[in-house]
Amino acid sequence: MEIIVKTAGEDLPSRIAQMFESVIHQGHGSLVLVFLIGVIFGGIIQYTRVDKFEKIAGFAMLKDTIVPKMLFLTVGLTSIGLYFMVEAGGAHYHIKPIIWQGLILGGVLFGISMAILGKCPGTGPVSIAEGRIDVLVGAIGGLLGGLVFTLYYDDIFEPLMGESFGKLTLPEFFPGNEHMVVLIFGITVALIAILIPKVEMFDEADLCKLPERERLDRD
Amino acid sequence: MHRLPWWMGAILMSGLLLMTFSVFGADRPIGASTYVPYFAGILFDLDPEKYTYLKEIKNSGAWEGVMLLGVLFGGFITSVFLTKTFRFSLIPTGWKRYKNNSVLSRLLWSFFAGFVMIIGARLAGGCTSGHFMSGMSQMAISAMIFGTVVMVVLVITGKLFYHTKED
Repeated sequence: MEIIVKTAGEDLPSRIAQMFESVIHQGHGSLVLVFLIGVIFGGIIQYTRVDKFEKIAGFAMLKDTIVPKMLFLTVGLTSIGLYFMVEAGGAHYHIKPIIWQGLILGGVLFGISMAILGKCPGTGPVSIAEGRIDVLVGAIGGLLGGLVFTLYYDDIFEPLMGESFGKLTLPEFFPGNEHMVVLIFGITVALIAILIPKVEMFDEADLCKLPERERLDRD
Repeated sequence: MHRLPWWMGAILMSGLLLMTFSVFGADRPIGASTYVPYFAGILFDLDPEKYTYLKEIKNSGAWEGVMLLGVLFGGFITSVFLTKTFRFSLIPTGWKRYKNNSVLSRLLWSFFAGFVMIIGARLAGGCTSGHFMSGMSQMAISAMIFGTVVMVVLVITGKLFYHTKED
C-alpha cells in the first residue's frame, strides 16, 4: 500500500501535513525529537501540578508560591548551564528584542488574563489534556485572539508594539566580567527561589482521593 | 495526588531547556504561544502568503505546533497513569471558593481571558515559556521587563478580581 501525503494542497489535512513538513526541513531537531520535547514538557508540568488553577491563580492571590519557586529555580540553573554551553560552542543565544511598548502592553494584558484563567499558553494545554473543559473554552478564545492578531497585525498590532531597542542581555552591561555576572545572576535567582516562603493552596477535589496519611495538607 | 516536588520539577525543566537549546537537540528555545496564531491560520483557512504575521511565524509556529501535540499527549498520559488526576470538570475548586459557583461565569471569563492572553503574548513576543523561562535563562533584558510587568499585574489582578479575604 502506498501512503500519499499531500503537502501542497489547500484543504485542512494538507495544511496540517505542511506543519510536519516545515518542522522536518527547518533544522531544529527531528520531528520525533520536537514531539518528544513536548511530551516531556507536558509531563513535567503535569507531574508537578503547576498547571492547576489553585497554583497559578493561587499565586496571583498570593496564597500559593510553588509556581514562582519552580520558575526561578529553573531560570537560575539554566542560565548558568546555558552560558557555559554557549561558551563551549554547544548552543546559541536566541534573544528577543526590547520592544518597550509591546512588552509593557503585552505584559499587562498577559498578567490580567493569567490571573483570571489561572493558566498560561504552556500550562493550558496540559489542563485540557487532563479534562478541564473551562480551559478548552479559554483555548477557543485564544484561537480567536490569534486570528484577530493575525488579521489586524499590519494595521493595529505592529504599530502598537513600537520600535525595537535591540537585543540586549545583562552580561553586556559588564564587559570583561561576563562570567562573574552570569554566576551572580544564576545563584541569586536560584536563592530567590529557595527563599520565597512555601505557601500552598490545595484542591479538595484532588486531596479527597488520597488516604488520610498521604494528604499533602496534613503535615 | 502524587506529584513531584517543585525543586525536582525545576531540575528536570532546566535539563529539558538545555537539551532543547543544545546544538545536539533543537538549537532553539522553548516557546508556547506562537502556535496559537499558527493554528488559527490553519483552522480559519488563512492564506500564509497574504498575511505578514503568518509569514513571520511560519517556522516557529510549525515547530511549536508539533511540540504542542507532544504536550497534549504527555499531559494526558501523566494525568491518567502517574498523578491519576484526569477528570472532566467545568469549574476549578479555587474559583468556587474565591469567585463564585457559576459555571457560566467561569466559562465566559475563561473565553475572555484566553482571547486577551494570546493578544498580550503576541504583542510582547512571548509568554511564560518563551520570555520567562527561555528568555530569563539567556539573561535577556526583554524577558526581565516582561517578567516584572506580568508578576506585578498578576498579583494586582489577583487581589482585585478574587474575594481573598473571606477565609
